[in-house]
Amino acid sequence: MYILKLLSTSIKSNLQHDLAYRADLIVNLVLSLIGLGSDLFGLSIIYANTNDIGGWGPSELIILLGVWRLVNVLMNMIIWPNTFNFNMSVHDGSLDYTLLLPVNSQLLISTKRIVIWHLFDFVIAIGLIIIGLAHNTGITSPLQIVAFLGLTLSGTTIIYSLWITLISLTFWFTKFGNSIVIMSAVLDAGRYPAHVYPFWLRALMTFVVPVAVATTVPLQALRGELQWWQAIGFLGIGLIAVWLSSRAWIAGLRRYSGASS
Amino acid sequence: MQVVNKSLERPTPSAGTDPIVVEGLSKTYQVTDREGGFGAAMRSFVKRKFRDVKAVQNVSFRIGTGEIVGFLGPNGAGKTTTLKMLSGLLHPTSGTARVLGFTPWERNSGYLRAMTLVMGQRNRLSWDIPAADSFLLNQAIYRISDADYKRTFDELNELLELAPIIRKPVRNLSLGERMKCELAASLLHRPSVLFLDEPTIGLDISAQVRIRAFIKEYNRRSGATIVLTSHYMADVTALCERIIIIHHGQLKYDGKLADLSRRIAPFKLISVTLGECSDCDLTPYGTVVPSESNEASAKHSVQVKADEVATITARMLAELPVIDLTIEDPPIEDVIERAFHE
Repeated sequence: MYILKLLSTSIKSNLQHDLAYRADLIVNLVLSLIGLGSDLFGLSIIYANTNDIGGWGPSELIILLGVWRLVNVLMNMIIWPNTFNFNMSVHDGSLDYTLLLPVNSQLLISTKRIVIWHLFDFVIAIGLIIIGLAHNTGITSPLQIVAFLGLTLSGTTIIYSLWITLISLTFWFTKFGNSIVIMSAVLDAGRYPAHVYPFWLRALMTFVVPVAVATTVPLQALRGELQWWQAIGFLGIGLIAVWLSSRAWIAGLRRYSGASS
Repeated sequence: MQVVNKSLERPTPSAGTDPIVVEGLSKTYQVTDREGGFGAAMRSFVKRKFRDVKAVQNVSFRIGTGEIVGFLGPNGAGKTTTLKMLSGLLHPTSGTARVLGFTPWERNSGYLRAMTLVMGQRNRLSWDIPAADSFLLNQAIYRISDADYKRTFDELNELLELAPIIRKPVRNLSLGERMKCELAASLLHRPSVLFLDEPTIGLDISAQVRIRAFIKEYNRRSGATIVLTSHYMADVTALCERIIIIHHGQLKYDGKLADLSRRIAPFKLISVTLGECSDCDLTPYGTVVPSESNEASAKHSVQVKADEVATITARMLAELPVIDLTIEDPPIEDVIERAFHE
């Protein structure tokens, strides 16, 4: 309850921040629609020339696009703005104040800046997933949908945990937070099924920046291609990632020496 | 500043339990060490050299409930490092500290709710939104009920005159206005221990006076324990009966400000304005202090031992054409400067 109240206050405060820049809000909404149009146009061109991509049909690619956009909402709404905030706060010492608040500091640095207008992208992503699911005829069991939703949540959590781990490394290696740029570049590949890529890129997408775990794996569950133990395994990896990232954050804080006065 | 209500008052902790107890606190930083130039940069890239910097060494002190203590020292003396350890930001290399019964660096939420750290050179408030919105976020973070929030805010508003400034985005506030808002944001949860690290830095004289008056009044009303660092001696003389001096990380003095003058600088300044006297020589009376005013001025200052003031004053009045004579303590800046290096 307390966390929800805190989040709602933070969202309100961020909304007030975003509303102060009206032109930005309108431009970004237009850009979101252009991005959606461009993605759908790209898919329509591909499917005009072939019946499937790596064995996946148009409805599955639309769901994949929705899941990939969901991961991007996490990136653009929370990870990017808070990476910038975090790097600045380490540099100018204002992280000191965040660490002295009687709230989990990882939660605070993750939610200090939430770019609210990306909720529009969130709605688009959910819309794509619903439209794709409605047109998908290959789903034979409700469990497939449950596994899909669970693995989407777990995959997104793994991406978030990777981010927390990367910014925690800033406490050892100055400016390590900038490695988010690499993470973001690899994430771009997640809009297509991982198995269409060469082995080295597939390995990169699975083990280094696990975007494939966040996008392709849930779709595999939806297609009934995952054994139950594989699905449980991926969910377990999500939990381990959360635990490891929080350990990295706590270890980083012990090393924190603050900016000099 | 008129007292109109008592809502900031807190019950006094039981006698004998000092809110701040520090024993043998030390902090050593490891920093990279290299000479300037391209070659040194390349060598450092291949083989990095490290050097230990002892920021705080074996510091011990206790501070009682409701005290305002000036924590003084030159730049790099270890003041901020000590304050950061006591507030919980830094883990010490060795030693212990208990503040309000908590070990600060464990960052227990009960502790974080009972203390505050204000750093004059850092911003707590979000730059782009009005301070009022940051206050509401703090209300949620510290779980302050609406009634308590309103009561505390009203009182802080009365002391700091916040109403005209809290609706503007923080980036549009002057430095003095921003510091008022920073202080208010830091005190909404009514902390009983305050660490104030140069709270008046960069402020103009009138803003400094207002902030000082506020700190004094807050202490009087709430009984809060306050540790203050400042390079402005006016802050120290106006607020602190007791001072702790730290230099090169080591504790140099812990006691009353008034006693420091007697211990460090057992002399007084006799300033005399002389009438017609072209060949008057003041050197037999004491050490003549160079005058900062123009040389033609008839006002001169002589430094004499404290226990000889009466005798020398009598001699000067008898032997010289004195128009005016004043006896002063040496400037506190000089006394503390001497204490740093003693």
